[in-house]
Amino acid sequence: MTSLDRWLSNAAAILLALLWVLPLIYAIWTAIHPAAYEARFVLTAPLSLENFVKAWDAAPFARYFLNTFILVTTILIGQFILCTLAAYAFARYRFPGRNILFTLVLLQLLVMPDILIVENYRMIRSLGLVDTISAIALPYIASGFGVFLIRQSFMTVPRELDDAARIEGAGALSILWRVYVPLAKPIYLAYGLVSVSHHWNNFLWPLIVTNSEETRPVTVGLSIFSTSDSGIEWSVINAATLMTSAPLLIAFLLFQRQFVQSFMRAGIK
Amino acid sequence: MFAKFFQGAAMTAAMAIAGTLPAKATDLQFYFPVAVGGGAAETIESLTKEYMELNPGVNIDAVYAGSYQDTITKVITASRGGNAPQLSVALSVDMFTLIDEDLILPFDDFIKTEEDQAWLDSFYPAFMENSQTGGKTYGIPFQRSTPVLYWNKEAFAAAGLDPNTPPANWTEMVEMGKALTKRDANGNVLQWGVRIPTSGFPYWLFQGLTTQNDVILANSDGNQTNFDDPKVVEALEYLVSLSEEHGVMEPGIVEWGATPKAFFEGQTAMMWTTTGNLTNVRKNAPFDFGVAMLPANKRRGAPTGGGNFYLFKGTSDEQLSASVDFIKWITEPEQSAKWTMATGYVAPRPATWDTDTMKAYAKDFPPVLVARDQLEFAVAELSTYQNQRITRIFNDALAAAITGQKDPATALQEAQAQADAILKPYRVGQ
Repeated sequence: MTSLDRWLSNAAAILLALLWVLPLIYAIWTAIHPAAYEARFVLTAPLSLENFVKAWDAAPFARYFLNTFILVTTILIGQFILCTLAAYAFARYRFPGRNILFTLVLLQLLVMPDILIVENYRMIRSLGLVDTISAIALPYIASGFGVFLIRQSFMTVPRELDDAARIEGAGALSILWRVYVPLAKPIYLAYGLVSVSHHWNNFLWPLIVTNSEETRPVTVGLSIFSTSDSGIEWSVINAATLMTSAPLLIAFLLFQRQFVQSFMRAGIK
Repeated sequence: MFAKFFQGAAMTAAMAIAGTLPAKATDLQFYFPVAVGGGAAETIESLTKEYMELNPGVNIDAVYAGSYQDTITKVITASRGGNAPQLSVALSVDMFTLIDEDLILPFDDFIKTEEDQAWLDSFYPAFMENSQTGGKTYGIPFQRSTPVLYWNKEAFAAAGLDPNTPPANWTEMVEMGKALTKRDANGNVLQWGVRIPTSGFPYWLFQGLTTQNDVILANSDGNQTNFDDPKVVEALEYLVSLSEEHGVMEPGIVEWGATPKAFFEGQTAMMWTTTGNLTNVRKNAPFDFGVAMLPANKRRGAPTGGGNFYLFKGTSDEQLSASVDFIKWITEPEQSAKWTMATGYVAPRPATWDTDTMKAYAKDFPPVLVARDQLEFAVAELSTYQNQRITRIFNDALAAAITGQKDPATALQEAQAQADAILKPYRVGQ
C-alpha cells in the first residue's frame, strides 16, 4: 500500500467516524448546556447539569433501571440455557423429525415479533402474568436466532474432540459444558451483546404488557419526553437519552476489544 | 436470580387466581396517554387519588400508556386478549375504529336520570361532534385542543405593523407575512412571515384552512370524504402559494416539533399550532406575544383535536357505572379547571370557565380565552372508519402537493378515489 493510499483510507475512516459520532456529540452538547444553546455552538456557553436533573425527576428512573437490568439478565440467562441445549441437540444428535424441527426454528426468524403481540398477550394473560417482568421476557427466551447461531458454531467443533472426551468417560452434558461451550465463547459474547442491546431498547411489548412502575423498563420512562402536541425540548430529551443509554455505552467502551475480537472470530457483523 | 424469577411468576399466578374471585371494592383500570409536557401524568394521577379518597369503595389503577398511538395499540391488544380496561382516554378520531372493532360501549346505557342527561348536554357542541354518531354518545371530551395563531408583537412593531392586530383573514396574512419576511443581502431569509407545520399529520392544520373555506372533509357517519371538493383544492392551493407564490413561509415540509423553537428564536413571526403549546410559549418566548383565532376566509374556522374518554366492553355493569361516575367527577368544573391550568387543554364545558379559579386564571392570562371563543366556529376533526388508512392517504396527498410532486387538484382527486375504495363497505344499508 502506498502512502497516498493509506492517507486516503485513513481520511475516509476518520470522515465516516465523524459522521457516525456527530449525533452523539450533539446529544452531549445539548445535554450539558442550557436550552438556549441548543442550536448555538459557542465554546463559552455555560455548562449545566440541570437537564439531567429535570430528566431524572420526570420519571422514576432508578426503579426503571433496576427493572431493565433484571429484564435483560433474565432474558440472557434463559436464552443461553435454552439455545445451548437446543443447538447441541440439533448439531450432534440424529432423531426423527430433526430437519423439520430445525426448519421450524429457522422459520421463527422470518416472523416479525410485532405480528404476534395479541397472541402473546393472550398467552401471558392465561398464565396470569400480565404486569410482571417475566411477561416481558418470556416471548423472547426461545430465540430461533440464538439456536441457529450456536448450532452453526457447534457444527464446526471437530468430532475428534467429542470422541476423545467420550473415551475419557465424559457424559453428554459434561462434553457440552467442557468442550462445546468453551469453544463457542466468542459466539456467546457476540450473541449476548446483540440480545442485551435489543432488549434494553425494546419499547412496544413492555409498554403493552405492563401497567405499573414496578415492572416497566427505562424505554417507557423515556417515552414521556416525546410529547407530540407541544414542542420538543431537545436538551432534556438528549439528557434522558444519554442517561438511559449510558450503561450500554460504558460497557461497550470497557469491553470494546473483546467485542471486536469476538465479532472478528465469529465472522458476523 | 432464577429462583426469584420463578418465585415471582408463581406468586403472580396465585394472585391472578385470587383476583378472579369477587372482590369487595370495585377495581377499575384506566389507561391514559400523554401528548403534552408539563406534568400531565402527575395531574391525572393526583386527580385519580383524590377521587379514591372521596370514594373509598372504588380503586382506580391509572396506567400511563405512552403516546396516543401507543395507547390505542395497548388498549386494542388488551381488549383482544380478554383483559380490556374499563375506561381509557384515546384520540376522539379513533371513535369509528373502536366501534368497528366492537370494543366500546355508548354512554347512553348509563344515562339514567335527568341530571345525567344534563351532564351529557353540558359540553361544547364542537367537541361533541367527534364524540357522537348514529344518535349515540361514545366519547366524553377530556383533553381537547384546537389550533390558534401565535404572533410575535416585537417583530410586528419592527416591520411597521400594529403589534396588537393579528391578521383577520387570508389576504391579510399574506400581506402581513410579506412585511414580516426579512432577507439578508444575499436573499437568504432571516425571518419568515408565518409557519404552518405540515410534518407528521398535516391534515389537522390544513383542516383549519378547509373549514375557513367553508367545506367539511368528512360526514358525521364517517363513511364519506370530500377530498376533491373544489373548495378543498382551493384551500390546498392557498397553502402551497404561501411558499411558492408569496414567499412568506419556508418551502417544503415544515416540522411540527421544531415550530415553537423557531418562533422563540425569531425565525418566524407567526405560527399556527395547538393551544396545548400555550404554557410552553408563555414560559419560553423571550418577547411579548399574542394569541388569536386562525384567520378567516369565507368564514372563521378550525378543527378540534385531542382525546376523549371511552368505555370498554368486557367488564361488569357495576364496574362500568363506577367508571361513568368517575368520568362525571373528573369533568366537573373544579377538576376540569385544574386539568386545563396544568396542561393548556381547552376546558370542554362552559361551566368550567365560570369557576372562580378559571376566572382568576383568565384574568391573569387572557390568551387562554381565545381557544374557548374559537370553539363557536370549530368543527369535528377529520374522522372516518378505517381512520388511520384514510388520514394516511390524505396526508400523503397533502405532502405531495406541498413538495411540488403533484398539483393540488390531482393529488386530492387521487386521494378521494382511494378513500372511496376503502369506505365503500361502510356505506351499505344507507
